[in-house]
Amino acid sequence: MSDYHDAVVQLLDVTKGFRRDKIEIPVLTNTTLHIPRGDFVAVMGPSGSGKSTLLNLCAGLDRPTTGQVIVNGQNLGQLSEAGLSKWRSQNLGFVFQMYNLMPVLTALENVELPLLLTPLSRSERRKHAAAALRIVGLEDRADHYPRQLSGGQEQRVSIARALANDPVLLLADEPTGNLDAHSAEEVLELMQSLNEQFGTTVVMVTHDPKAARSAKRLLHLEKGTFVQADIEALEASR
Amino acid sequence: MKYLPLILRNVFRNKVRSIFTGISIAISLFPLMLLYAFLDLQDDMASSTAQYNRVAVLHEGGLAGQLPIAYVDRVRRQPGVKDAIPLSWFGGNYREEKTQFAQFATDPKVFFEIYPEYACPPDQIAAWQSDKTGCLVGSVIAENKGWKIGDKIPLQGNIYPVDLELTVRGIYDGPDTADRSWLVFHFDYFDESLKEARTPNSGNAGIIMLRTESASKMSPVMQSIESAFASSDAPVKPMTEKEFGASFLEMMGNVRGFIRMTATAIVIALICVAANTMAMAVRERTREIALFKAIGFNRNTILGMFLAESIAIGLLGGLIGGIGTKFLFSLIDLSSVDPGLGMFYVPWRTALWGVALAAAIGLFSGLIPAWRAANVSVIEGLRKVV
Ligand SMILES: Nc1ncnc2c1ncn2[C@@H]1O[C@H](COP(=O)(O)OP(=O)(O)OP(=O)(O)O)[C@@H](O)[C@H]1O
Ligand SMILES: [Mg+2]
Repeated sequence: MSDYHDAVVQLLDVTKGFRRDKIEIPVLTNTTLHIPRGDFVAVMGPSGSGKSTLLNLCAGLDRPTTGQVIVNGQNLGQLSEAGLSKWRSQNLGFVFQMYNLMPVLTALENVELPLLLTPLSRSERRKHAAAALRIVGLEDRADHYPRQLSGGQEQRVSIARALANDPVLLLADEPTGNLDAHSAEEVLELMQSLNEQFGTTVVMVTHDPKAARSAKRLLHLEKGTFVQADIEALEASR
Repeated sequence: MKYLPLILRNVFRNKVRSIFTGISIAISLFPLMLLYAFLDLQDDMASSTAQYNRVAVLHEGGLAGQLPIAYVDRVRRQPGVKDAIPLSWFGGNYREEKTQFAQFATDPKVFFEIYPEYACPPDQIAAWQSDKTGCLVGSVIAENKGWKIGDKIPLQGNIYPVDLELTVRGIYDGPDTADRSWLVFHFDYFDESLKEARTPNSGNAGIIMLRTESASKMSPVMQSIESAFASSDAPVKPMTEKEFGASFLEMMGNVRGFIRMTATAIVIALICVAANTMAMAVRERTREIALFKAIGFNRNTILGMFLAESIAIGLLGGLIGGIGTKFLFSLIDLSSVDPGLGMFYVPWRTALWGVALAAAIGLFSGLIPAWRAANVSVIEGLRKVV
């Protein structure tokens, strides 16, 4: 299997649980997962099933109880906290459901934020950020503050920020969860085109079957493990 | 440096809170600056007078004791002494005024030998020297009282049962550190008035101020003067002008220690106020901090950003309080409160020290909140609010 070697995300026998009052609550149990380069995966599952936990593990924001997480060839368990920070800034893009942007920064400055961690000069950073804003179609909003943007526009700025450092992997946790149908459509199209044009691997958690349809593949998370699911079947079952 | 815009934006995002914190620092800095300016000025005066090699000779019993006027000539003849003058405190009341200013009976012929840094036009000096009831006044006191050459100045005696009627013959000026609030007049006029009134106190030189030929002569001169008068009716205590100045401060108790204690209390209170502001900021921004970390900012960067924010708030207060106090005092005329304060100003050194102190307050108040920010858990932070 060629995509085995070219997997961007590999979970190897990962178990993750949370301790609450001495009781271990299992979230993921002995999970193995490969997400090949260039994939666009939608992750669905009931609330509390561990979708966000999966993203946190992929981002190195949390560590598995047992097992290994390897992203873009890097075993995350081998990195220190500072090493993980640096690694994230070079490899990952993040989009969350809401409250994504720094309210004190303009759209352009928000997009520039991850670039502060690179050795780029100020003008190069500005250029990169402007280019990213152009990709999401918001170059005319560069000087607007988040409060002056609609929810959909905010989310597109978040995507621009996520792609500013040219990430290998884009992690999105319910990126359309707070948007109206039209804005959600725009955001999804954007992620699709990023995936197609730049080959960015995307893992998107969603509750919305319609959103899941823009992905290439659907994973269903239930009772601690993944089930490969069929998008069409999902549609039909509704 | 590239984080500076972000930090400044955060300082001003909650304008009311930052400004109130800044202002509370500024306001508390104000009295501190005054106290320290006062001490700094004392030091400045003391150290700037050192170059003139002046020695004050007092009665062994202190300022209240009397030195016979004949001592002036005897001091003058000591080897290593350039010249000497009496400075006899008159302590009279001017018109109905309750506050007093420095009035000394002295030797007009020698006065400028002892105080070479005092500047006065030669014709005024000559006019003062040749008029027995003439007096010389400092530029600060002259401006404060509105005196001009030729004005009559009646002084009612308090210590002595005589009234003097003086005429302004000259106005002297000098460097910032020179005392320009004195009124000096002829010792002869003073002493003759006392003799006419038949008081037993005539012939009192007060203290004797002398200048030595060089700095290295100061301590031998002080020693020889002390031993020369040791067995006389009025033994003396010579001290450098600097020590003499310091002895006035000592009379007010341990002023410096007291000022330092007050300063420490104020600074600790300010750190608590500013720390509270920063703690609130961190709490409000937990989610943002989590986002920063998710993007790849590490804990040191976050620690640095919050410390910088806190220092910036301190600096804001420092600039208003420190530089503001300086300019405020160059605008208001304190001599209307007390002529002795006419020369008061806030030196740059003190103002900048205030700014630095405020920055340090910012730094210390930010330590705990910034440390908390640096340790925000990304996962917890991101779960919040959503
Ligand atoms: N830090 C934590 N401490 C304790 N329990 C946690 C923690 N994080 C997650 N959990 C638990 O782990 C389980 C999975 O949580 P997770 O947030 O991954 O769910 P999710 O699938 O993203 O849910 P949702 O769709 O509501 O976002 C839940 O039962 C949750 O309560
Ligand atoms: Mg979730």
